[in-house]
Amino acid sequence: MSIRSKAAIVGIGETPTDRLGSKPGEPRKSSAEYLSWAMHLALADAGLTLKDFNGQGIGVTIPTAYPQPFWPEEVAEILGITPGFLLGGATGGAGSVSLLGGMSAAIASGMIDLALCIGAAAPFAEHHGDGLQPGDMRDFEIPFGTMGPNSKIAMVMRRHMHEYGTTLDHLGKIAVAGRYHASLNPAAYLRKPITIQDYKDSRLVADPVRLLDCVLPANGGKAYILASPERAKKLRKPPVCVKGFGERSNPSYGPRAGSDALVMGIKDAGKVAMEMAEIKHSDINFLQLYDDYIIVVYLQLEDLGFCAKGDLGFFERTDFTFKGQLPIQTGGGMINCGQPSTAGGTLHVLEAVRQLRGEGGDRQVPGAKTGLVSGLGVLPYGKNLGCCAVAVLGTQP
Amino acid sequence: MAEPTLKKPLPVLTSEAKPFWDAAAEQKLVMQRCQDCRAYIWTPRPACFECGSERVEWTQLSGKGQIYSFTVIRQVVGRAASEAFEPDVPYVVAWIDLDEGPRMISNVIGCPVEDVKLGMKVAVVFEQQSPEIWLPKFKPTVS
Repeated sequence: MSIRSKAAIVGIGETPTDRLGSKPGEPRKSSAEYLSWAMHLALADAGLTLKDFNGQGIGVTIPTAYPQPFWPEEVAEILGITPGFLLGGATGGAGSVSLLGGMSAAIASGMIDLALCIGAAAPFAEHHGDGLQPGDMRDFEIPFGTMGPNSKIAMVMRRHMHEYGTTLDHLGKIAVAGRYHASLNPAAYLRKPITIQDYKDSRLVADPVRLLDCVLPANGGKAYILASPERAKKLRKPPVCVKGFGERSNPSYGPRAGSDALVMGIKDAGKVAMEMAEIKHSDINFLQLYDDYIIVVYLQLEDLGFCAKGDLGFFERTDFTFKGQLPIQTGGGMINCGQPSTAGGTLHVLEAVRQLRGEGGDRQVPGAKTGLVSGLGVLPYGKNLGCCAVAVLGTQP
Repeated sequence: MAEPTLKKPLPVLTSEAKPFWDAAAEQKLVMQRCQDCRAYIWTPRPACFECGSERVEWTQLSGKGQIYSFTVIRQVVGRAASEAFEPDVPYVVAWIDLDEGPRMISNVIGCPVEDVKLGMKVAVVFEQQSPEIWLPKFKPTVS
């Protein structure tokens, strides 16, 4: 069933990100403070009040290291809302895009006509311990000394380089484009432009993964508001339509005990979302791709079908900047703006909305009408990312 | 005798994985195999993840395979328990493609980290970690 253009984004809110003391004067704020701050920014943007959300939808991304299993309920308490439909974004970093699909479906059903999707984390200010690990990771990875996602992504990156001859020049191009956009985004955290050589010279973290391959953990809060098309018409900002949505969790390409670790579930999630939106690749004016690592952005460009697997020439000839043929990460992505745990992925939704409203400032993609956003989460055993969620957003239904 | 300050995290002996660890303690590498669709099942689980059959049986493997990919851990990061691995740095974490098909995460040991290559042939060895737990690790095969 299609939920094409049954809901629209009508408000966005994003707090500054910080790393608690990495820059002078950074504040010490809690998750609760970031949540409230992000919500108030989104309410002001949409022209709505807290009371408008009683009986409506609230979606909350669930952070990786928070020991409270009823977190979405606690967030409703923190914010002072009595939702009629409460949903947790439990797909890790994909959570905010998953919520976009789930809440749009709830709005399409007529059960609600307004929803606030929100997330925050303050890993530099609050410590909740290591949290619980999935059983596979606990029993069959960690005892061998794996060091979190870096270890697994390093193996994916090395295999890609081995199989297709991918070099640091191909990958570095994505890092350079992202940082260039960050240099034009006043809200980005890392803003000094870099060269391919800077990327190559950055410190090895988990060979072959380098420092400039990795996302930047940060404190912060992010929110967006969805409304039915009828409700959206009465609000102050031009609505951004949710034109298509697709999601795949626990994907496998080949036998489940040894699937192709270079193919992502976005291959199918993207196809579903684009078919729902009735668009072709050439209709897409920009991509905001979940960026925990540079190689993960690279794999998504392949698996979304912008080029064939291993087509190095595509990466050599394509201009990924906002002025180019295929703009990606137009605000700099999480790698340069910071990742407040699973709320981080919301950044891509918010940047897509800014571009489609024409609020992109110095990095505005000229004439942007349609954009694609992805969210990815969880690293299952023996594979790349577990959940891939894709949304197509546009200025027109 | 001084206790080591940090202990390496050990697997939990879940009921579905116990036959694996029992076999490992006897220096045998076993995995579940579906008796209907013949798929290998790794990691351990209650039923076949390809066809749903509950007719799964533990089968001994050759213990031979090759390196699909790997990383060299040069720095411990993240969880507090990771620090227990500090004395081992640098070490290799690898995806091993077993000859029968399944892919395992393990360590490549018994050679300098600089010598580890993709496609290198390896064979299983078992390292005792506790009275019950022997971890399957892999050494390059002498050709």
